[in-house]
Amino acid sequence: MVGLLLQILADALLLGGVYTLMAIGLSLAFGVTRIINFAHGDIVMYGAYGAFFAFAGLNIDPLLSLPIVAILGGIGGYLLFKLSLDRILNDVSINQVLLTFGLGLILQNVAVILWTGDERSTTPAYAFDSWQFSDDIVIAKGRVIAFGIAVLFVVMLLAWLRWSELGRATRAVSQNQAAASLMGINVRAMYALSFALSSAFGTATGAIMSFLLPITPFMGFPIMVKAFAIIILGGMDSVIGTVFGAFFLAIAETAIAYLVPQGIGWAEGVAFFLLVLMLIARPTGILGTVGRDA
Amino acid sequence: MITVRSAYLVAALALATAAVPAQAQETIKIGAPLALSGKFVSYGAAAKRGMEMAVDIYGGKVAGKKIEVLFRDTQSDAQAAVNSFTQLLSEEKVNYLVGPIATPMAMAGLPAWRRTKALWVVPGVTTPLLEEEAGKEPMLFHTFPYAYHYHISLAKILRERLGAGKTVAIIYSDDSYGREHLPYAQKFFAQEGFKIVAEELVRAGATDLNPVLAKIRRAHADILLGLVQTTDGISLTKQAYVQRLGVPYLIGTAYPQLKQWQDATAEAQEGWVGVTTYIPGLKAKADSKYPKLFPDSDKWIAEFTRRYNREPEFIDVGAYVSTCMLLIAIDKAGGDDKEKVAEELKKLDVHTMIGRGHFAPTGNGTLNQAFSDVIVHQRVKGKDAILFPKEFETTTTVEQAAYPK
Repeated sequence: MVGLLLQILADALLLGGVYTLMAIGLSLAFGVTRIINFAHGDIVMYGAYGAFFAFAGLNIDPLLSLPIVAILGGIGGYLLFKLSLDRILNDVSINQVLLTFGLGLILQNVAVILWTGDERSTTPAYAFDSWQFSDDIVIAKGRVIAFGIAVLFVVMLLAWLRWSELGRATRAVSQNQAAASLMGINVRAMYALSFALSSAFGTATGAIMSFLLPITPFMGFPIMVKAFAIIILGGMDSVIGTVFGAFFLAIAETAIAYLVPQGIGWAEGVAFFLLVLMLIARPTGILGTVGRDA
Repeated sequence: MITVRSAYLVAALALATAAVPAQAQETIKIGAPLALSGKFVSYGAAAKRGMEMAVDIYGGKVAGKKIEVLFRDTQSDAQAAVNSFTQLLSEEKVNYLVGPIATPMAMAGLPAWRRTKALWVVPGVTTPLLEEEAGKEPMLFHTFPYAYHYHISLAKILRERLGAGKTVAIIYSDDSYGREHLPYAQKFFAQEGFKIVAEELVRAGATDLNPVLAKIRRAHADILLGLVQTTDGISLTKQAYVQRLGVPYLIGTAYPQLKQWQDATAEAQEGWVGVTTYIPGLKAKADSKYPKLFPDSDKWIAEFTRRYNREPEFIDVGAYVSTCMLLIAIDKAGGDDKEKVAEELKKLDVHTMIGRGHFAPTGNGTLNQAFSDVIVHQRVKGKDAILFPKEFETTTTVEQAAYPK
């Protein structure tokens, strides 16, 4: 029984790391621009393809291609923002939602045209290895790496927001756009920067997902839905809240999957049950400030 | 000048209008509602390749008329599938349909098909819903095994090779695929004397299968049967390996034959058993009556690879063979009379790259079923060993699965 509980705990923590990766970029972009980027999952998908082609074509390990994929993702995100969202920032929010949703569909269909719907995956040695501590406790090395990267991303993002000038400016825009503008901060530039960073995190996440999940042009939507649930749970404008949301969801899902008969069928529903519950009881999420009146 | 131009325009329009019925008489239209986008795109793309190659090798003409294949994208979406069927059957008035491959698309198109009952060749759809709903229709020709054909062969060969008294754990997805396969797996494995010790549901597309794998590990089964589709098959294979599941025999459905599954699962694929209608390395001899259409399998594979720069997979071959059989029947019927073509199709008996092409009742309700024999194969050292049927057998031993050292 102790072994089983330890395995549940380990699985929940490692899944929490994966979920943090899925949601952190979406949370950053929303926190600053107040635009929910429905194309975020598809940006993750492009990162996964980037890592896959680097692995299959050039034999570059996904962990080594991660920084390159992230930089390319950042540039792509910046261009995407300047060419599309920047032009409708002052429109009603439904237009922004529709635009990002449409962008997601375009990105998905371009991927189908370019790479077909075939499933792919990177296959580095660590993705096929694990530590076995007992009959009940097995820890997958790939998931541990994903967890470590998630911790690294969160620390890097928090450090950047707290100690860098651009990070402080980003926080200022997030807290009060009008005041930030009066202080001489270029709000639109901060929007573009946060969107670029969000996309960089998205594609970097894709590089990690490339060895954890099958890569297809359709992998983005479930990732986006999960990330959306996490940032609502944790608080839509809070990085720490996103981490809380990710781990809260992972623990709930894993516990139900292990302890309830046929529980894995219920576990995914848990995300949305918790999401609805949170929207009713605390629309700002666990640590967020943006809620019903935003 | 304007008057002259107008006269030309009127004349051109008149010619074009006159040309439409003439062209309609000169062509035989075959509707192909296929998933050319969306999540089933790999199925649709393979079927399209197979059909195009069949028409090309046939010479582009049948019964003296040009063959016109009207591909319509079902977008892997039920509503779009309904539109594709309606457009092909009511507007284009096709007498023949080939496709779709995925069950949800075929089931969505069924009501539209019932209105005209075109001759419908289905080179896919494993779930027996189609059989229950339309199997008794004389114009339906199913050219792919149903789920129960998979499990009859799997259970039989595993019982023969592994002996009596083995236990089975089943993982099935919560989509129509997993739920449709489950009762047949239960029935035929039990019939062969296997004891089912665990049945675990997984959500299609689930990120984490560890909870289910932990339950399976505690059941200490001899065999794991994974009733999931390709994407989940990749996750299941990788996670079972990484989690050191310890189950000696790992059995899948159609996914172990797919190159994409093999590429994505690397060393985790070792020992997985699968079922298919076609597998590379199968040595089928040419048909004596139609050697150009159904040559030796090696020759056909070389031709396919030359055209598409890739190895054929089971849907490529299935769609090719099904289309060729339809075209032969149209030729034998002497034209575009679907009733006569159906009669000719029923009489047809050819030797193809995926076995004998001959329609017979299934015993479960389908009047016209071809290619119900499946091949059981195993991934051994990155290659396929064929366990069944006897005529293609390359090994008699079922190897145990490998796990990390």
